[in-house]
Amino acid sequence: MSRGLRMISVSKFYNEGAERITALDRVSVSVEPGEFVAVVGPSGSGKSTFLSVAGALLKPSEGEVHVNGKLISSLPDKQLSEIRLREVGFILQASNLVPYLNVLDQLLLVKKMSGSVRAEDRAFAIKLLEELGLGGKLNSYPEQLSGGEKQRTAIARALVNDPSVILADEPTASLDTKRAHEVVSLISHEVKSRGKAAIMVTHDERLLSYCDKVYRMEDGKLSLAQE
Amino acid sequence: MFLAWKEMRHSKIRFLMIGIIYVLIAWLVFILSGLGNGLSTLAAATFKNMDADYVVFEKGSKASMGKSLLSWDLSEELANMPNVQAVSPMGISISSALRENGGSDEEKVDIAIIGIEPGSFLEPDVVEGEGLSAERLTYAIVNDTMKDHGYRVGDTFQLDGSTEKLTIAGFVTNETYNHIASVFVPIEEWRKIAFAAPGSDKGVNNPVNAIMLQGKDIDPKAINEQLPGTDTVTRSAAVMGISGYKEESGTILMMLGFLFVIAAFIIGVFFYVFTMQKSNQFGIMKAIGAKNGFLAKAVISQVFLLSLVSIIIGVLLTYGTAAVMPKGMPFNLEVNLVIAYSIILLVISLISSLVSVRTVLKIDPLKALGRVE
Repeated sequence: MSRGLRMISVSKFYNEGAERITALDRVSVSVEPGEFVAVVGPSGSGKSTFLSVAGALLKPSEGEVHVNGKLISSLPDKQLSEIRLREVGFILQASNLVPYLNVLDQLLLVKKMSGSVRAEDRAFAIKLLEELGLGGKLNSYPEQLSGGEKQRTAIARALVNDPSVILADEPTASLDTKRAHEVVSLISHEVKSRGKAAIMVTHDERLLSYCDKVYRMEDGKLSLAQE
Repeated sequence: MFLAWKEMRHSKIRFLMIGIIYVLIAWLVFILSGLGNGLSTLAAATFKNMDADYVVFEKGSKASMGKSLLSWDLSEELANMPNVQAVSPMGISISSALRENGGSDEEKVDIAIIGIEPGSFLEPDVVEGEGLSAERLTYAIVNDTMKDHGYRVGDTFQLDGSTEKLTIAGFVTNETYNHIASVFVPIEEWRKIAFAAPGSDKGVNNPVNAIMLQGKDIDPKAINEQLPGTDTVTRSAAVMGISGYKEESGTILMMLGFLFVIAAFIIGVFFYVFTMQKSNQFGIMKAIGAKNGFLAKAVISQVFLLSLVSIIIGVLLTYGTAAVMPKGMPFNLEVNLVIAYSIILLVISLISSLVSVRTVLKIDPLKALGRVE
């Protein structure tokens, strides 16, 4: 079984009044470790639902989701948060940091959630932040950071628990072109060097050159757009 | 604790303000309980200090000394009841003390004249001078607040509206009844004072107001059946029977009760609003893997820290206030009571924080996805 992310014929339905909405329509995709794929598509096409199902935030109505070889689509809610904590790293849109924690504590918080912070966890977090060019900002709070620095902190936070899957939700939403390129190339670099299976949902077509594959989402259907 | 503490350090002003409100409430709770306790001590100290377990009143007197009249002749029968270890008579009448050779502008001091058997278990220990003696009927032991009015051991005072004079044999401390100083006299002397008018004893032989019993396992029902016309109650019921006592302590208790409810709501509402404001953050933390328990602990430990610090400051302020209070103020803060009320405040705050915890549990981690701020 694959060590990355694998979705087999996954569908998700919502009931809206009497109507049944198909948010995901038999989506099958496989992302190997070290592979960085992009999912593009208009808003309302089901990108967010796709990411939520891949990230163990939402259970699919049909189909199977495997993360790091584990079938997660049938797990109860309690174990889903454990999967999110250990196996999935989320890079969310800008300013999704905890406002009252400094850069280092943002990472240590994730360690706290999974138990206690050991000395080596602390050292690893500091090393990670230094690699991402935040060595001088360890004690800064989110309000003191630029948009790019915030996103780099978010990347570090996604990586700190050494997950097998990285999911990025519009990571460049509030960045200018230069910073957007910086952030996505950084994600790409980290994904390759650490061997993570990564999916980025974006509507920013300029950034697709960093990705190995590009999928297009339309009306809940996922199709390969470019290899 | 990690999240709770980091956040409090980061948003100091916010937490300082709610902390100040909490401190003021705690302060008020402790001051009120101190005053309440002081007042009820003044009202019933003599009763509370007495080493008696049960009190026999006249039937229909509703455990009130003033309404009860019994004959001491009952004592033999009472002493023979099962589990009764000792019996002793008691009588109370309110009067005022007048300096012997004082003029009309001389200050009168309100006193409660309490008749007891000299040497019985009802007689309090003197802190100065000598105790009561059956040979010296007009010698009394009086509460030391009389000293503030200039009375010393050996002084003689007259009772207002009576020809009787009493001499101070010794002083006792913390003995008050209905907020006024207790003056203990031998029971025979008390009868002379209380039933000076002919017929006021209603023909009762050896009249007393009540008979105090010692004995932990006394069965009051058995006594009531054995001796018709009597009503035996516990000492605490007798304290409640003191005129005005129930009403007074009821008022204070009601105020305290309201304060507890107010404290619960202030803390509860503050953290609820606060939690609502932070629901996005909680959503993000849930998305990156925080379990409900982790977040609930953060909220509860924050309430705990805030409450604990505020209560401690409130206690310190209360003792500070007590130190500068005027002497006449009936303020009596017991450590037990302070601890009990502190725990009640703390528990109430924690319970009220559960509303916020419930909100946190319901936050959907999906909130974190697909939104731009």
